Amino acid sequence: MQAGSSQLLNWILWMPMLGVLGVLLLPKDKKDWIRMWSLLNTALTLVFSVVLYMKFDNTVPGMQSPFNVVIPWIENFHIFYRLGVDGISLPMVMLTSLLFMICILSSWTIEKSVKAYFALFLFLQACIYGVFLSLDFFLFYVFWEVMLIPMFFLIGIWGGENREYAAVKFFLYTFFGSILMLVGMVALYYASGSNAESFNILALSGGKFTSLTINIFGSTFSFSKLFFVFMFIGFAIKVPVFPFHTWLPHAHVQAPTAISVILAGVLLKMGTYGFLRIAYPIFPEASVHFSSAIAWLGLINVIYGALCAMAQTDVKKLIAYSSVSHMGFVMLGLAAMTVQGMNGAVLQMFNHGTSTAMMFLLIGVLYERSHHRWIVRPDGTKGFGGLYTQLPRYSIIFIIAMFASMGLPGLSGFISEALIFLGIYERFTTITVLALFGLLIGAAYLLWMFKRMFFGEVIEECKEYTDMNAREIFYMLPLCAAVIIFGIYPAPVLNVMRASVGQLVSLLSNY
Amino acid sequence: MVESYISSLSAYVPELLACLVMVGLVILEATYSKIEDGKRGLFNLFSLLGLLAVAIVLLLQKSNSATTIFTGSMTIDLLASMAKLVMVIGTIGAFYLSWGSKDIADEQKGEFSILAVGVLIGGMILASANNMLMFYIGIETLSILSYAMASFKKNDDRSAEAGLKYALYGGISAGLMLFGMSHIFGVLGTIQFSEIAMKVTELQTQQLVILIPAFLFFFVGIGYKIACVPFHMWSPDVYEGSPLPVTAFFSIVPKVAGIAALLRVTQLFFAHESVLSHSWMATISVMAALTMTVGNVSAIGQRSMKRMLAYSSIGHSGVLMLCALVPGVEGQTAFLFYTFVYLFMTLLAFFMISAMNDTYGNDYFERFNGFAFRYPMMAILLTVVMLSLAGIPPLGGFVAKFRVLSIIIEKKFFTLAIITGINSVISLYYYLKVVRLMVFKPTETMEEIKTLSYVNQLIYFIIAIPVVWLGINWASVNGLLGVVSQSHH
Repeated sequence: MQAGSSQLLNWILWMPMLGVLGVLLLPKDKKDWIRMWSLLNTALTLVFSVVLYMKFDNTVPGMQSPFNVVIPWIENFHIFYRLGVDGISLPMVMLTSLLFMICILSSWTIEKSVKAYFALFLFLQACIYGVFLSLDFFLFYVFWEVMLIPMFFLIGIWGGENREYAAVKFFLYTFFGSILMLVGMVALYYASGSNAESFNILALSGGKFTSLTINIFGSTFSFSKLFFVFMFIGFAIKVPVFPFHTWLPHAHVQAPTAISVILAGVLLKMGTYGFLRIAYPIFPEASVHFSSAIAWLGLINVIYGALCAMAQTDVKKLIAYSSVSHMGFVMLGLAAMTVQGMNGAVLQMFNHGTSTAMMFLLIGVLYERSHHRWIVRPDGTKGFGGLYTQLPRYSIIFIIAMFASMGLPGLSGFISEALIFLGIYERFTTITVLALFGLLIGAAYLLWMFKRMFFGEVIEECKEYTDMNAREIFYMLPLCAAVIIFGIYPAPVLNVMRASVGQLVSLLSNY
Repeated sequence: MVESYISSLSAYVPELLACLVMVGLVILEATYSKIEDGKRGLFNLFSLLGLLAVAIVLLLQKSNSATTIFTGSMTIDLLASMAKLVMVIGTIGAFYLSWGSKDIADEQKGEFSILAVGVLIGGMILASANNMLMFYIGIETLSILSYAMASFKKNDDRSAEAGLKYALYGGISAGLMLFGMSHIFGVLGTIQFSEIAMKVTELQTQQLVILIPAFLFFFVGIGYKIACVPFHMWSPDVYEGSPLPVTAFFSIVPKVAGIAALLRVTQLFFAHESVLSHSWMATISVMAALTMTVGNVSAIGQRSMKRMLAYSSIGHSGVLMLCALVPGVEGQTAFLFYTFVYLFMTLLAFFMISAMNDTYGNDYFERFNGFAFRYPMMAILLTVVMLSLAGIPPLGGFVAKFRVLSIIIEKKFFTLAIITGINSVISLYYYLKVVRLMVFKPTETMEEIKTLSYVNQLIYFIIAIPVVWLGINWASVNGLLGVVSQSHH
């Protein structure tokens, strides 16, 4: 591999931080400069990510050593600044780079405290890369937590009416989960053996804690099962898995468009990424032990999320609940622990990232025109009607996004869901059959929403709306391309992850 | 004998210097009884330089090995020296706060400084105490002067109430402690900690029957000083009634001294497994869990920032008490690190509250509405402090909590670790409230706050540096904490 690879991850991680610095140095009233600088910054990060993708060797499972970065941080606690990339994190890094650049474009219309907004936004981006690239548990935890700070302010300052409540709830929920993770993390550190005490995720992986037990109040627990549950709750809150999902509708509805996109597109994936990077490899035996529980929770997510979505009259809330439902499919794929299921899960993480980002962006576009999001207003009148005749370009893109998230064959959602069902069918037949109903309900609420908003009489208010402008179409295009291309030819994503996912599946199959 | 006395004195320089500062302040105060501008400046300069000298001597004295002085009645070791250093810096901070504060009448500022140095000396003795007598002298010096400080606002009912409450509670707990100590002496026949430490390892059942309650009574005395539940009732009222600089002082110096003493006692007597150590450790675990929970839950509903901080500092004492569960270097390191960070966080929070209090006459949460639009830099600093207090990385408060959690998890106290964690979440709620008001609420006024002059802003900024730095490069204070090599074991 060529020279220069060794610093690539550092560049990806610290580029947005450089962006933050630049934004802070720019004068407050030069709003366009700040926007352009942020765009340039995210574009550069995207370029670095593409370079990473080109240099990535699809045949090598696990961490690709040319990219690894290891620098001692706190030596007497064996904490390292350790970065690495494998086939599971690469799609997430790509997704993050793409979505952030698009979100900068969609945030062009933000006028309130522009400087603070873009600084926090880029800071958030750096933290997300930190989570996806860290190979040291402590470092991972730091990024996982720091990310809450920009999120808190981004929701709380630029959000909707009830933004404070949503921001605080989001912060507290995630912090609660992280605390359990922290306890588990420290316990792992000491359990890893007095000579090897380590936060190194790779060194902790491989089922080293299978036979360990601990005593709490005189009763003996399996170490791995207990702390798997701790980690599970920490990650499940992020996904969010039922019954830890209650923060999500608030945060989504209140957050500004770009933040909803990042929340649904990237942040939720951090939860499932946590399973793949930490909970599964470190506690393979406990993961297998709890796999049916995970599957049932996934099923509840699928059905419950879909039913909740059906009942919503606020279109953003509807999409928020549809995320709960779609993340349920990812959980099902994770529970399958087969090659197809896990590949499907990672692919679904990527595909949901693109399709749900489209949905939220489109709702944001509409909101900028209508300043409300009611499908049916609380007083029973229609919020939208006949958009199809009024906004033809918008409608076409909306249809693509909708069908992609519905899982229509030929669009991206189909392939990942099909893989998940293929993977899980043998192990959990009943759940598979029940989960198929989730797809049905999914189609129902999306089509029903579409019918109510886009067909029928053009209501008076909608006649004033203008169709999407060039900027808006421009940032939707890459996502449209992604859902269509990966719907027909998913190999560019699947090939990258195959080796790493295969390695994880073979580890799990030993138990 | 004389040589040993003289060599003892050389290790006792910090305390002696502090006494000199106190005497000097008394003389200065008496000489310039009427306040005129300029005279106050001399007084302030003297107190500042004096305390800085104490801090420097403490830093010079720092050594990883322990020396006992005055025929074994005091120990000078790393724990004592560093705890004293924190106390001295805390006192300097409280002094600085008092100079500009309107909460203390100008003619009383001299008295405040004198009494505060007195309390500081008591705290220093307590942190070094190596027998029951010194222990008692330390606690009483600390307490009696504190009673006077609490009731400083002569015309304020609440301040009088604070002083009385403090004195009554203090009297009772000192009595109980003395009662316990006398039984310990009665059973073991010694007041020297080193001898007690040897004798507690080989006890008969009859002795245990007396010693367990006796040590419990002993604990009451410490528990009262560090405001641990259920001996905390005085604390919020005293904190609220006292003038702000006094509250800032109370939330640092007596606490650090008390917990350092608790650590020393535990380390000496209960480092080895015995029936007695089990009951002592069980007491500490239960009290620590209660302290954290009661402190944090009570802080939620407060309207006054000062009172909120008072309850939250009860929560922090709970976490600090956990360090006593791991006797030895590890607990000590975690404790010292925590107090270092806690010191700077608390000072900064009190500086901000004091600025509001001086301007508006109260420190209700609403005063911070829209603060971010008036003083963005200061709002960022306060946000950093609040998030650090809650334990969000990459700030010092997180690392402090992480170190405490890591030592108790190493000793397999998982339940306590979870309780500590959940308390962090509870505390985040009310710390976030401050941030929320500052950033999300519109401001009613753009009026200038006099206390937030450029000089003060710069000073606050400097105080915030360790809060952030200790979260990122915490290995940098390893030298102060006595962490020798990089091996953890």
